[in-house]
Amino acid sequence: MQWDFSPVWANWDFLALGFVNSLKVFVVSLLLGLPVGLALALMRLSQSRLLSWPALVVIEIMRSTPPIVTLFWVFFAAPLILGLRIGSFEASVVTLGIASAAFFAEIFRAGIVSVEKGLVEASMALAMTPAQSTRRVVLPIAIKRMVAAFFERSVELLKGTTLVSTVAYADLMYNANALVQETYRPLEIYSVVALFYFGFIYVASIITGRVEVYLARTGEAGGH
Amino acid sequence: MIWDYQSILANWPVIWRGLVGTMHMGFVCIAMSMSIGLVVGSARYSRSLVFRIPATAFVEFFRNTPVLVQIIWFFFAFPVFTGIKITPFWAGVLGVSLNGAAYCAEIFRGGIQNIARGQWEACRALGMNYRQTMGRVILPQAIKRMLPPLTNRAVEMIKATAIASIIAYYELLHSARIISSNFFNPIESYTAVAIVFIVVIWPLTYTTRLMEKRLSVSD
Repeated sequence: MQWDFSPVWANWDFLALGFVNSLKVFVVSLLLGLPVGLALALMRLSQSRLLSWPALVVIEIMRSTPPIVTLFWVFFAAPLILGLRIGSFEASVVTLGIASAAFFAEIFRAGIVSVEKGLVEASMALAMTPAQSTRRVVLPIAIKRMVAAFFERSVELLKGTTLVSTVAYADLMYNANALVQETYRPLEIYSVVALFYFGFIYVASIITGRVEVYLARTGEAGGH
Repeated sequence: MIWDYQSILANWPVIWRGLVGTMHMGFVCIAMSMSIGLVVGSARYSRSLVFRIPATAFVEFFRNTPVLVQIIWFFFAFPVFTGIKITPFWAGVLGVSLNGAAYCAEIFRGGIQNIARGQWEACRALGMNYRQTMGRVILPQAIKRMLPPLTNRAVEMIKATAIASIIAYYELLHSARIISSNFFNPIESYTAVAIVFIVVIWPLTYTTRLMEKRLSVSD
């Protein structure tokens, strides 16, 4: 067997373009997932069943279906139901965004629940409204406690972006497939792509790990 | 819009075959990843660098690469590399279970390391040897704590088997594709398959949550 990496190096810009698209999907899904996740968490914590039940249903459905199944549903079935044209980019970010939102919601919720009741009562005693107490006391503490789980989920999302190649969005994996079909060098191309993903995600995990340690050191026990 | 349930009900054998495919791959992956994970986890726990370095490399590599990339690599690149032909089933199993094994290894290692050191010392003070300490004190507690994350991992692996449909392994998502391309009913077929997934997976995630809740009470 002869290794020949020339197709990879000759087409590095094509692959780089794919990776930029992967990052685009990642960033947009994250920006969509965070607010939706926070909204779902607040709905779940609400006293009113009218709010908490729909949130629970969305969270359970998204957590119990493989993201690739949801993606196919959004790409092939949703356009017919809604009568809209949905492109592969939109389908990808909506699916990955809402799928991560379901996990973010549980992280937000666990973080919020972990904040001691006494702090909420103290803020009430200081005449804060529930909304003020949530925004000024509970969320700042909760967010710090959630950072580790939140980073872990974001790394999962980054890995999940490879799924979008299955609905023909031109991410790194899709471009790698196209290159393989053209050059018949699956071993070299897929190995380089796999190592690249590993390197990028590994560095991302290390950086997020450092940030966690830093945040933990700056005192979570209400040092501010 | 009219929902055409008939075409789904008439094709139940296709969905059934997909479900069998999903569960078959899921169980093989769970069994493989737990056994590999146990070996790798013990190696990571070992004092000798000869065991610890390769085990750490294994965990870091497989945890930080997307499953889809691994499945594609095993299906298209591995045969060129080794000259061994590989079926979609085994490419899927290798991709999903090696990834799962890396996570399981961490769960096993963490489960044992998280038991307070004082307990080891207490056992030694009571005259227990390593095997007795492990079997009577450490493992019973560790297993209890590892059960929820392991179930969670099993769920993630069953979900990940759906990715094997891209290399034409016959599982649930593949069934949906077959039905929808024959009957032009993507809404019904993809919805039906999503429901089957929820019916299979939701009880598992629910049990995990119950276990976690009970554990936090008993600890």
